Amino acid sequence: MGNETHRHASLLHHLYAGHQSWLLDRLRRRLGNAADAEDLAAETFAHVVAHPDPSTIVEPKAFLTTIAKRLVFHFWRRRDLEQAYLDSIAGLPEPALPSEEERALLMEALLRIDQALAGMPPVAKQAFLYSQLDELTYREIAERLSISAMSVRRYVTQGIARCVAATL
Amino acid sequence: MNENDGLALDDITRDAIDWMVLLRSGEASGAQRDAFAAWQAADARHAAAWRRIAGALDGTFAPVQAIQSRGAERDGLARHILLYRGDRRRIIRGALALAGLGLGAGAILDRRLPLAQLTADLRTSTGERRSYALPDGSSVMLNARSAVDIDFSAGRRELRLRSGELIATVAPGQPAPFVVRTAHGTVRALGTRFLVRQQAEGFQVAVLEHAVAVETRNGVRHRVGEGESAWFDAGRVEAHPAPAESLAAWTGGMLEVHDEPLARVADGLRPYLGAYLRVSPEAARLRVLGVYSLDDPQAALASLAETLPLRVQYYGPWLIVVDLR
Repeated sequence: MGNETHRHASLLHHLYAGHQSWLLDRLRRRLGNAADAEDLAAETFAHVVAHPDPSTIVEPKAFLTTIAKRLVFHFWRRRDLEQAYLDSIAGLPEPALPSEEERALLMEALLRIDQALAGMPPVAKQAFLYSQLDELTYREIAERLSISAMSVRRYVTQGIARCVAATL
Repeated sequence: MNENDGLALDDITRDAIDWMVLLRSGEASGAQRDAFAAWQAADARHAAAWRRIAGALDGTFAPVQAIQSRGAERDGLARHILLYRGDRRRIIRGALALAGLGLGAGAILDRRLPLAQLTADLRTSTGERRSYALPDGSSVMLNARSAVDIDFSAGRRELRLRSGELIATVAPGQPAPFVVRTAHGTVRALGTRFLVRQQAEGFQVAVLEHAVAVETRNGVRHRVGEGESAWFDAGRVEAHPAPAESLAAWTGGMLEVHDEPLARVADGLRPYLGAYLRVSPEAARLRVLGVYSLDDPQAALASLAETLPLRVQYYGPWLIVVDLR
């Protein structure tokens, strides 16, 4: 194993040494916060570490940018969902507040769902969620959203298909 | 009905989805249900596809449904969160920064420096612990990578914890209340030595002497007595099982954990590591018990790897990855 492992490690080391400050600088500009930038830069390189064969990365900057962009997007979306969570629970009476553990489980699940449904128009998401979470009939959903039952059916199909595709 | 939506799903899976859409409509007839049963029985692949999509949906939504089912007030919670649109202005700002458009030097400086910490009155860097004397004879000790503002103007005695962790030792016999403010609420001393620590989603408070009164941003009040600890966010205060003294072990350069997840150990070590410490979710759940040196965090990681099924890998000087072995 020795040689192969060593080659792998030295490749990774080159990648860090050559691009760490460049990546950090870009992330700082986008996030406006050094600590978050450091976290995301490290997370980006953690993806590189997981890459089966880093020697096939021909354009390191393009490769790192692609990963980092996706992470930045998820980072902001996570922030948004956390903010939305705080807003949503602000009005709840104390006994109904989710515990810390429930909160963590809920946020994990919501992030996965959010990613699966990303790109669906809001009304389509809403129709799917009414069906999936509130178990309303399509006629009830159509009434609430002032759309046709045919549209509801199409949106629910889209939602299920995306959730299934995301777990494949 | 199979749409060209760009998803890589085979025909049988799409048929199964169409059946599910029909059965959930609230309007499926008896004949349609029979037809579904016949479809399922016709081919083992049909039944398998059905189980797969039902499993995918259940797996995805089960945690959400479980949490919503425990309280009628929580109805619509997940829907509301998932439909949140986010902050448009920030997205535009991010796009501008990316395109490098018209930003003055000041604006760039603003983004690149952690202003929250630079403008704080008191702050410590990685691996640094420090004690500060306050104007009224009280003192405050900051754990590594912490930032605190002080406001002793107009007879006030207030600290604002902006990041990290502090221990306040309050001078008695003063008329003004001694208060630590946080993003989620305030901790008021009742003649006391106490600790306040920022966590990912809230704050921890531990009382070493006497007692404190916590009031969350939403007005929930709770008294924490000597030796006790509690966790709070904007809406809630929960008693915490950890004894107050063990939470304060960092003042002596030690991290003490009693049967807590590895994630908590990682949180404690991070302010002492120059490198970013990444712990996989599986490893983060391992339970840990022990006392570890903060001033030699790499030795702490090595001793964790000896007693737990962990692998610690160092990548260059700034990334440490901890995973299950």
